[in-house]
Amino acid sequence: MSRTTARFKIITALIFLIFLIAGGWPLKKHRDFPVEIVCGPGVTDIKKLSDFFPALKGSVADTYVFVLEGKEPGGKALIMGNTHANEPEGLLSVAIMIENAVVEKGTLYLIPFFNRSASLNTRPGEGYPLYFSITTPWGKKTFRMGNRDASPLDQWPDPDIYIHYPEKQMLSYLDIRNTNRTWPGRKNGLPMEQVTYAAMELLRQEKVDLAIDLHGAETMFPVTNCIVAPEKSMRIATLASLTVKSMEGFENHLESSPEKFRGLSHREIGDYSETLPFLLEAPIPFLDQPTGPKTEKLFLDGQDEFLLSLAKRKKLFVPYDESGWPLEKRVGQHLSVSLEIIRQYSRKTPARAIIIKNVPRYAEVVRNGVGYYFHNPAEAEMDKVIKH
Amino acid sequence: MLGQTLFISSVIILAYALAKWRKLSVELSMFIAAVAGALAGAIFKTPALLEIPRHLVEGAFTYLDVILVFFTATLFITIVQESSGVNFAVRSAVVHFARTRFLALFLLMIIVLIPGALTGAGSVSLLVVGAPVALALRGLGVSENKIPAILFILAGLAAAAPPVNIWAMVLCAGTAIPYVGFELPLGIPVIILGTLTILILGRRQVETGSLQEFLDKIEINPGMNWFRLLTPFIVFFGLVIAYRLFPFYFPILGLPLEFLIASAVAYFLSPVKLNLIRVASSTISKLLPLLATMVIVGMLQQIMAASGVKGLISYAVLIIPLGLLFFLLPFIIPVSEGVLTYGGAAIIGIPLVWYLNSLGYHATIVISGLSLLWPLGDGLPPTALIGRLSVMISGYKGSYWQFLKQTWIPWIIITLAGIFMILFSSKLSFLVTG
Repeated sequence: MSRTTARFKIITALIFLIFLIAGGWPLKKHRDFPVEIVCGPGVTDIKKLSDFFPALKGSVADTYVFVLEGKEPGGKALIMGNTHANEPEGLLSVAIMIENAVVEKGTLYLIPFFNRSASLNTRPGEGYPLYFSITTPWGKKTFRMGNRDASPLDQWPDPDIYIHYPEKQMLSYLDIRNTNRTWPGRKNGLPMEQVTYAAMELLRQEKVDLAIDLHGAETMFPVTNCIVAPEKSMRIATLASLTVKSMEGFENHLESSPEKFRGLSHREIGDYSETLPFLLEAPIPFLDQPTGPKTEKLFLDGQDEFLLSLAKRKKLFVPYDESGWPLEKRVGQHLSVSLEIIRQYSRKTPARAIIIKNVPRYAEVVRNGVGYYFHNPAEAEMDKVIKH
Repeated sequence: MLGQTLFISSVIILAYALAKWRKLSVELSMFIAAVAGALAGAIFKTPALLEIPRHLVEGAFTYLDVILVFFTATLFITIVQESSGVNFAVRSAVVHFARTRFLALFLLMIIVLIPGALTGAGSVSLLVVGAPVALALRGLGVSENKIPAILFILAGLAAAAPPVNIWAMVLCAGTAIPYVGFELPLGIPVIILGTLTILILGRRQVETGSLQEFLDKIEINPGMNWFRLLTPFIVFFGLVIAYRLFPFYFPILGLPLEFLIASAVAYFLSPVKLNLIRVASSTISKLLPLLATMVIVGMLQQIMAASGVKGLISYAVLIIPLGLLFFLLPFIIPVSEGVLTYGGAAIIGIPLVWYLNSLGYHATIVISGLSLLWPLGDGLPPTALIGRLSVMISGYKGSYWQFLKQTWIPWIIITLAGIFMILFSSKLSFLVTG
């Protein structure tokens, strides 16, 4: 090798190394970035999923379960956010509940980062921002933007095809890292199957009445802006949908959970436990394919010219105008619909009622913004701040 | 926003064209296009200047799993080749089937279809059985310029064949449609179109010298036998099938490890002493352009998404009037695959399926029809993954365009089949079972 060639190769290797560090370092920082949640007055206990299934203990997949137990016994509900960590409306809704809710009757189990590994992951090829920040009265609160699936750093290799347990339905190989395809979970399965198994154990051991899984979906997806429920949950879902429309003025239509599509929370929780499952979808323009740049602004305000043009051509499944579909509406919907499902269930089953106070509803969140409901971790007692 | 994204798109296209004009390789040209697009995007902070390295590095990992499969599968077949297993297989096949030519061609078609059908990757078909099949086709008198064309079309159909079709799975995952009932809508067209392909491209027998002359050219190590040849393949397919038969008891190894295990078996059974380091190095050298393409396509996709160009492509497809859309699908779908590989299914396919489904078209049949069109794009630049593999594996000496020209008749037949399936999806819904 001539001296010139050797020099060229060394310089190229050095440039490559600098480039790799400059590009890789932000990804490492993202994985290590802690999101802070301040425990509100209603939090009575903090558990982890591994308390219900010890095999998860010490793994990245293990995640916090915040317990808000009322003074009076009653029913129990589980609410999960970040099943898909690129749909963080669920995380924000659950975090607002953790920081503000007070339960008077019954018990609330709140999991803000259901697929924690996915929240530490990014989405190669999709150009997402690594973080998004929300304005609060005390400054900016920053969250990690995650991926739909768990990180391959935490669960790898993938099979060439994913065969769902126990129904043996074949699904895309990627879905083995998707915690909304691995229900009802498998005791000896892969980490994400164990996450859903642990959640099923929580539901079974604690005799939970309701499970609400918070999601977001594209405006071009028919199953958006809706409540997905199986037959056994449909009556409560119908009442909740009608009530939010008449009392709070927003649409949230019903979709029935398909029997042939396996692995989803709204199907398997109902089939494999006594719990009534619900899956809520809020429209997230950021997730749509035909949008402009994938920026933090698009995620927050949901305003996009391409989608507006497609809405005028009647190609979206939700009403869409210049105001977009801002985060406040999405989080507000999730909170109101969750509260309404719990209220309707409580009315129908008074002995298992769950009474929750201090959680804002749709109109309040739209008026005040999402950040209004977050507390400053710097001013909170140390042991009340959970970093996850 | 339209002006901004059009400007960035123009910069990407211009940078690619300039790089090609300066006679840079496809990989370097695409890399330059990605960097130029990122810098043009930085004018509007989409992405911000300091974010560019992160986007490029993150994008580079988009197809890491595919890259691992490519490398390990090629390593496997190279070991089999160097141990003279490939020559042994071809010699035996040609000797046995030379008199019943159509049956031989049909069997070769099935052999190419199986690995791709099981894994969803036409590349696996080519990497595992492409080289011996190419030699066997030569032995059966198929002309040199038709062999890569046959391999390309069959590898594409193999990827589309059930039970594993990645495009359909991407679309099902994105549209929340269960991946069930695809066996007949995918299986029937694949078998019919595969048979037509071998009939059209392989029917004419050219003079390749006497059979004995051809057989004499194939050197075989005397120690090679059926046991040594078949055991590594049986191990590989055994591992693939074992997970399907016992999904909850058999450990998940992943395709790369399955190929490595099969490689180890082939290495230990080889009658020739092989230098593993040399074989691995030559495999990397052979595959480097392809692997580089996969890395850079991921980078380009990431920049296109961050800058809005990806969204613009999807938007442009969706605003096309329906009649014109059907007319343009034979161009749009393969081109999207050529530029974005599986990304095309997500960017264009998902909104398209929702749109057509809302108009009453049957989603499963529409996805099946589209799945026939996407593999054709694997022969189109800039990526041309399967096309380039077909050329590489068959040892074709002509230009890439000459190879591609040979595929035109099956290309048109497959396109028509795909489009008819979409247009008459409701009438074909009886094919969907389960």
